[in-house]
Amino acid sequence: MRKKYNTPGSVLFDIIIYIVMIVSLIVCLVPFIYMFAVSLSNPTAIINKEVSLFPVGLTFSAYKQIFTYPNFFNAYGNTIFYTVVGTFISLVMTTLFAYPLSKGFLKGQKFIMKMVVFSMFFSGGLIPNYLLVSSLKLTGTVWAMLLPFAINQFNLIILINFFKSIPTEIEEAALIDGLDYFGILRKIIIPLSTAAIATVGLYTAVFFWNDWFNGLIYLNTKQFPVMLFLRNIVNGTAMVGDAAGSADKTTIAISIKSAVIITSTLPIIVLYPFLQKYFVKGLTVGSVKG
Amino acid sequence: MSVSTVKTKTPLQKSSTGKRYLKKYWQLYAMMLLPIIYFILFKYVPMFGNILAFRRYRPGMGAYGTEWVGLRYFKLFWGDPAFWRAFRNTLVLSLGNLLINFPIPIFFAILLNEVRHEKFKKAVQTISYMPRFISTVVVIAILGEMLSPSSGLINQLLQDVFGIEPIYFMNEPGWFRILYIFTDTWQFTGWTAIIYLAAITSISNDLFEAAEIDGASRIQQIFYVTIPSILPTIMVMLILNVGRMLSLGFEKVLLMYTPSNSEVSDIIDTLVYRTGLANQNYSYATAIGLFSGIIGVILVTSSNALSRKFTGDSIY
Repeated sequence: MRKKYNTPGSVLFDIIIYIVMIVSLIVCLVPFIYMFAVSLSNPTAIINKEVSLFPVGLTFSAYKQIFTYPNFFNAYGNTIFYTVVGTFISLVMTTLFAYPLSKGFLKGQKFIMKMVVFSMFFSGGLIPNYLLVSSLKLTGTVWAMLLPFAINQFNLIILINFFKSIPTEIEEAALIDGLDYFGILRKIIIPLSTAAIATVGLYTAVFFWNDWFNGLIYLNTKQFPVMLFLRNIVNGTAMVGDAAGSADKTTIAISIKSAVIITSTLPIIVLYPFLQKYFVKGLTVGSVKG
Repeated sequence: MSVSTVKTKTPLQKSSTGKRYLKKYWQLYAMMLLPIIYFILFKYVPMFGNILAFRRYRPGMGAYGTEWVGLRYFKLFWGDPAFWRAFRNTLVLSLGNLLINFPIPIFFAILLNEVRHEKFKKAVQTISYMPRFISTVVVIAILGEMLSPSSGLINQLLQDVFGIEPIYFMNEPGWFRILYIFTDTWQFTGWTAIIYLAAITSISNDLFEAAEIDGASRIQQIFYVTIPSILPTIMVMLILNVGRMLSLGFEKVLLMYTPSNSEVSDIIDTLVYRTGLANQNYSYATAIGLFSGIIGVILVTSSNALSRKFTGDSIY
């Protein structure tokens, strides 16, 4: 691009752009930095409004405290379980569905696709879904967290579109060599699609990691995921800092809240820079249009 | 397969071709077996479960109610002021959200595209879409802490810089919609901008060069080249957004809901949640849910039809 960059108008435009971008960066990052600072600050400094972007009176007591809190560990473990098992089930089911649906010649494929797309626009709604899960006797079991979300239609379409882009000549050659469709899926399609499967897997893992509402309506306290634990701390249904003296309970609660926010979000923030290229891929690989 | 060829075959031949077809492709059907059962059970059974809106539910007598009551529950919510309050709140919140959060990612993408320092551009892009992957619970928890009247950063700033008394942002009804819309801006601007950025990068360079030769400034190039070129993308995104308009971030509203802001924060979805799951008024809640679901389908199909008619682009 040979644009005129040295005119006064263009320079002014550049200045405006950089101001907008730097402000956007600050707005994106400050909430995290502030949470981090609060979680490491002395409770009295927090209540005296001395904490902004750096910890004041550096202390790890909030982290020490949540690590002695059995419900936190329990919830964290639950979340890891839901994320790992939920993502695994979802990937198996989605791949098994997407591969046959990527074959346009297959009888019934068009009909099934129509049913899938229709279910994206019109769903059962909250109450029928709830009554289904309870009439299947899944309420209070981990399956209530895992099964209803085994296949997400958007993820399914991402995979279908990716499988469609794999040249059919490879499969035809494999069929002649005596490989059956299960073999083709396992030995050819899946190895060729690791990037797309990783993308869908990441979306699914993030979904399970962040889920709290289904835990709220389907599970018992012991099965709560960490996000529901955090929500209960925020709205005061769960007690924190029982170990601390009652006098500074509220001030302690603030830094503890921040420590829970940081620890429950950390896996996403830490892994994000390494995996972000996969996060974006889903947008470019799959579109509803198909 | 055309009708005439089917007719000329004897039943025996037909079944043998069917057999051959199945023998060749049975594995593809076998793969789909479990997913199809899943789809019927978890997507279509709840869809038909909506008949509960027309039937009376009795505890322990099944998920589909005991007897037909016709439009009884629809008439009930039609005359219920709580429903109309939720309906109005849903409309105001979704229209406000669309009006503000639809154009912002477009501006952001256009400006970001003008950044010439590639590393800085990449860094801004990467950081700006990270909030998309943060849990709503965390977003609202951070919001609550930043806005806390006793210790939050924002009230701290307001007090020190402007000398304003602490504001109870999370409890005051007047702030609810602004906070809802702003957190959406914060969470989704960068992510949505990716789609527009991709559209901008695919614009042919010749167009910019031609504009350049005609003496167009950078800003003129944006108005006469960039924006017209990404208009189809903007239209498709607009259809998607209008179609999804009523499905607001239910979880976010539920997390922001307090008794003191319920006047503006009670939307259709939270009403369904409260009457259905909290008060176990299943049939009534299903009727409200079904009503808003049908409006949603009408919105998607009509905005899609409009777009196909006027721009030639549609999503299905």
